[in-house]
Parts: sequence; C-alpha cells; structure tokens
Amino acid sequence: MRSPQFSSFVILVVLLVVFAVADGNFLSPLNISNMMAFLPELGIIALGMTLLLTAGEFDLSVGAVFALAPVVVMLPVQNAGVDIGVALLAGLLLCIAIGAINGVIVTKIGISSFLVTLSMLLVVRGAALYITQGFPLKSWDQPGFLVTLLAGSFNIGAFRFYTSLWWFVGLSLLAVYVLRYAKLGNWISAIGSNRNAAVARGVPADAVKIWLFILTSVLAGLAGMISAFRISAASPVAGTGYELEVIAMVVVGGTALTGGRGTILGTIVGALMLRAIRNGIVLVGVPGLAYNIFVGVIILAMLILHALLQKNAARS
Amino acid sequence: MQEVLRLQNLQKSFGSVRALKNASLTLKEGDVVALLGDNGAGKSTLIKAISGVFPIDRGDIYVRGEKVSIRSTREAMDLGIETIHQDTSLAPDLSIARNLFLGREPVNLKWLGVFAPIDLAKLRDAASALLKRVGISKKLDADALVSTLSGGERQSIAISRAMQFAAKVIILDEPTNNLGVEETHGVLRFVKEMREAGHSVLLITHNIHHVFEVADRIIVMRRGEIVAEQTVADTDLLTVESLITGADVSALMKRAQ
Ligand SMILES: Nc1ncnc2c1ncn2[C@@H]1O[C@H](COP(=O)(O)OP(=O)(O)OP(=O)(O)O)[C@@H](O)[C@H]1O
Ligand SMILES: [Mg+2]
Repeated sequence: MRSPQFSSFVILVVLLVVFAVADGNFLSPLNISNMMAFLPELGIIALGMTLLLTAGEFDLSVGAVFALAPVVVMLPVQNAGVDIGVALLAGLLLCIAIGAINGVIVTKIGISSFLVTLSMLLVVRGAALYITQGFPLKSWDQPGFLVTLLAGSFNIGAFRFYTSLWWFVGLSLLAVYVLRYAKLGNWISAIGSNRNAAVARGVPADAVKIWLFILTSVLAGLAGMISAFRISAASPVAGTGYELEVIAMVVVGGTALTGGRGTILGTIVGALMLRAIRNGIVLVGVPGLAYNIFVGVIILAMLILHALLQKNAARS
Repeated sequence: MQEVLRLQNLQKSFGSVRALKNASLTLKEGDVVALLGDNGAGKSTLIKAISGVFPIDRGDIYVRGEKVSIRSTREAMDLGIETIHQDTSLAPDLSIARNLFLGREPVNLKWLGVFAPIDLAKLRDAASALLKRVGISKKLDADALVSTLSGGERQSIAISRAMQFAAKVIILDEPTNNLGVEETHGVLRFVKEMREAGHSVLLITHNIHHVFEVADRIIVMRRGEIVAEQTVADTDLLTVESLITGADVSALMKRAQ
C-alpha cells in the first residue's frame, strides 16, 4: 500500500478533514456543489495529460486550446448564424489539428514537447486574442440539446450537479480501462519507460504519441466548451495557467514526469486535491493574493513525499 | 541444411559515416555464427538492419530463399527474426510478464484492436512457465517490475522472450555483457539449446572464448566490411584475434614462438 496514488489519497483525506474542521461550510451542500462544478473541467484535461505524460511527453498548449475552442465554435454561431452542429465540428477538427501538429513535430522532427507545445501555447492563445480582439464574446443565449448535454445541471437533494460530472466519470473509467487493462495501455507505459525497447517489439511509438497529443487537445477543447456553456460565455483569456495546474494534478497523483509510470486514479485524487485546496484555503481565510503560495507549497510537499516513497521502495 | 537467412551486399551510411559497406552472409538452419569485430566495426548496424530498426540503403535480404524487405521491427519479428539488442530491450517500469509479451499481448475481444483487454491470466501463466523454462537461478515473480532486477536477470528475461516466439533466427548483440559467471553460462547454454532445436543464432560478442565454446562459424567485420569467414574447427584463437585487429598473423605467430 505504498503506491503513490494511495499516499496521495491519504493526504487528500487529511486535507478534507482539516478544511472541514477549520470551516463548517466546507462540507456544506453549496460548497461541495461548487467544487464539483469546477472539478470536471480541469479533470478532463488531466486525464489526457496523464496518458501523455505516461508516454513520456506533455502538452503546455491545453490552457490556450481551452480558450480557443469555444471562441471558434461560438463566434460564427453568434455573428454569422452558422449552425451549432457545424461549428462544433469545426472546433473539433481544429483541436485535432492542433494535437496532430504538436505530435508530428515532437515525434517526426524530434523537438522536445516542452518547446513545441510552448510555442503552440503562444500561437493558440494569440489566435484566440486576435479573433476576439481581446474581448469576451457576447453571452450565449441559445439553450439547446448540446448545452444540456455538456453543461446541464440537476439536483440531488440539496446538491446541485452538472452533467459535466458524468462526462468526467465516464472518461475516467475509460482512461483507467485503457491504461491498466488494454493492449494500448501497455504500449503507452512501455513507450514512456523505454521507447527504444517498445519500438524494437514492434510498438508504433510515434503513432501512439501523436494520437495522445490529439486526444489531449480534444479533451482540452471539450473542457473549454463545457466551461463556456456553463458560464454562458467564451473568453479569449479563459484557462490561462491551466496547463501547469493540470500537470500539477497529474504529478501530485503519482504519475512520473519522466514517463513510464502513470495512474488515472492518482490523477483523480490529484484533481480533487487541487480543487479542495483552492476552495478550502479561501474558506479558511487565507487572503486571495496569498493562496498560490499555499498551493505551491502543498504541491512541493506532495512531490517530496512521492520521491521519498519511491526511494524507500527501491531500497527494500 | 536449409538456408534460413541470406544477406547480399548490404550497405548503410549515417551521414558521411559508412557503417556498412557491402556486407554479405548466409545463415543455415541450426547454424551458430559468431559476428566479431572491434568497437565501431559495424556489427550492431548490421543486425539492426536485419531486425528492422532502420532501413538499409542498398542490398538484398532473403529469408528461406525468398527476397524480403524489412521496413519495421514488426516485419522482422513476423518473418521469425528475434533480436536482443545491446542497449537492453526491456521497459523497466513494466512487469516481467508485460515485458515478455510487449507488442504481442494475448488479448480477449480481439476485434477491439489496440483497445482490446489483455488476457491477464494467460499473460501471467505463460510468463511463469517461461521463467521456469529459462531456469534463472533466483525465483522471479512474473509480476515483479523489471526495474527491480539485476542486469543479468534482465538479460535472461530478454532472452527468454526470444525463445518463446520460437523464432527462426535469433540475434544476440553482446548478450553476456555485464553478466555474472552463472548467467553467462545460462546464455551459452541457451545458444546451444537453440541450435539443437534447429534455430539459427547470430551471436555478437567480444569474448572469443565464448565463440569457441558455442559457435560453428566465425565472421569478422572491420570498418563496415566482412573481412574473414572461418569455421571454428579450422581456426584458433590467435588467428581470430589478429583478424579482428587486422594485425599481420605470421608476424604475430613468430613473436609468439
Ligand atoms: N545511429 C547512428 N548514427 C550515426 N552513426 C552511427 C549510428 N549507429 C552507428 N553509427 C556509427 O557506425 C559505426 C558502426 O557502429 P556499430 O554500432 O555498428 O558498431 P559495433 O560493431 O556494434 O561496435 P561495438 O562493438 O562497440 O558495439 C560507428 O562508427 C558508429 O559511430
Ligand atoms: Mg554494437
């Protein structure tokens, strides 16, 4: 029971207890509902990022894609009367293209994913700003099937949940299945662990990585749509800094930044933890401007803990 | 004996480095051929070309008399060529069992393609059976991570993987490097077993004593070319050593007397 996701889970429980004791409102239906509303948006991106990190790459452009996708979908619908279905398809193709470009440059030209996706972040964020001239779009006033599907809400007792939670749960189950039980998951871990070994066994490493970049981009776009529908608006600066928050969730959960070792359950724990921290320290009364200090310190502490556990495991 | 693998005039350059110039050789059924040569002679390049790691620039490869083109490692494996590379070929973060079947995982619901679930029970059983057969000194658990194994144990795992798919041609690139006495004997025993079972083995090594223990023939490479080919029965250690370094044999013989 020394597994990284387990130790993360213990710390999550400790954090929840501390926050609950410190502030009675932390576990109130309203606050839990609030946390659950935000959770899926970053959580969905984190699932893709976990698979990508396990294969030994990462993607810094997700936060920008999170902003660009809803802009590209909503703008033509609002300004040119384009059908929402067509617009969504265009958004999807855009995300696929961004992921494919990332993946192809990383694998075929051999530039590190840090540099490639950092550049892509600038391109995509820049595109979102340019298209919108820097202003948020008009608020979205067209309810419909898709809006309900992505950002509808429902009540269970005193709790109010969004359908995005189901998306997160469903995608999580799929990701757990793929990484742990499917042939593809074995390939992903092997590629991140020792790429040459995987290639020597006939594993199509480049193709797998390219598909994972595409998946991560598409999930970032989906999360962006969910968020935009939920707050009924798209903004070119949405999702700023999300790339690092998502990577933090993933590594706090126990996935190795160096590839080969990934855990979806850990990522879910990591997503819950960062959400709880962000929410809890505000309730506890840490001044808003100071709270990144706490988030950073807690993340560091988690990583140190994982490293120590890893060392111990290697010794025994 | 039937011809299994024939290479004709293989050439390969890396930029301006001509790593392989006109290499030709033939392997027969049950043949154990030792490929010798100094560092940088082109041995690894030759076997990487056969195992599909990179394409050759020029030349032909025949498997059982039929001309083939090997464009990927997968194609080489499908032709029955299993390679154990010098830079070990295991993924340390995966279990032994998962490494043994990497790229050829037994699955249920095959129609799901890469999303098909691995048949974990079968994976485990096959792995355990295989580990027993290789007879590694220490008892290894099929679920243990490869990162917890010693270099020798890893080498044995890589070798048992080649055994399991009953390849026609098994290529070993310096398999006894970094191995202890016992593991080294295990590898040599394995080579002999393979010959008895009718497989062909191409063995790269810097240890000439091992060559005389297991090989039938010796092929010597120097600067990208095959410079000599001899049967083990017709040669001796000193001759082979001088062939590798390119020193004048008769001068050496005189000095030795
Ligand atoms: N991927 C590569 N890119 C550029 N040059 C290479 C590459 N692989 C090999 N070479 C060069 O080709 C030549 C032959 O290398 P090779 O690895 O085949 O030697 P080797 O006979 O296996 O040597 P060793 O006994 O040291 O393993 C060397 O000069 C090497 O530097
Ligand atoms: Mg070599």
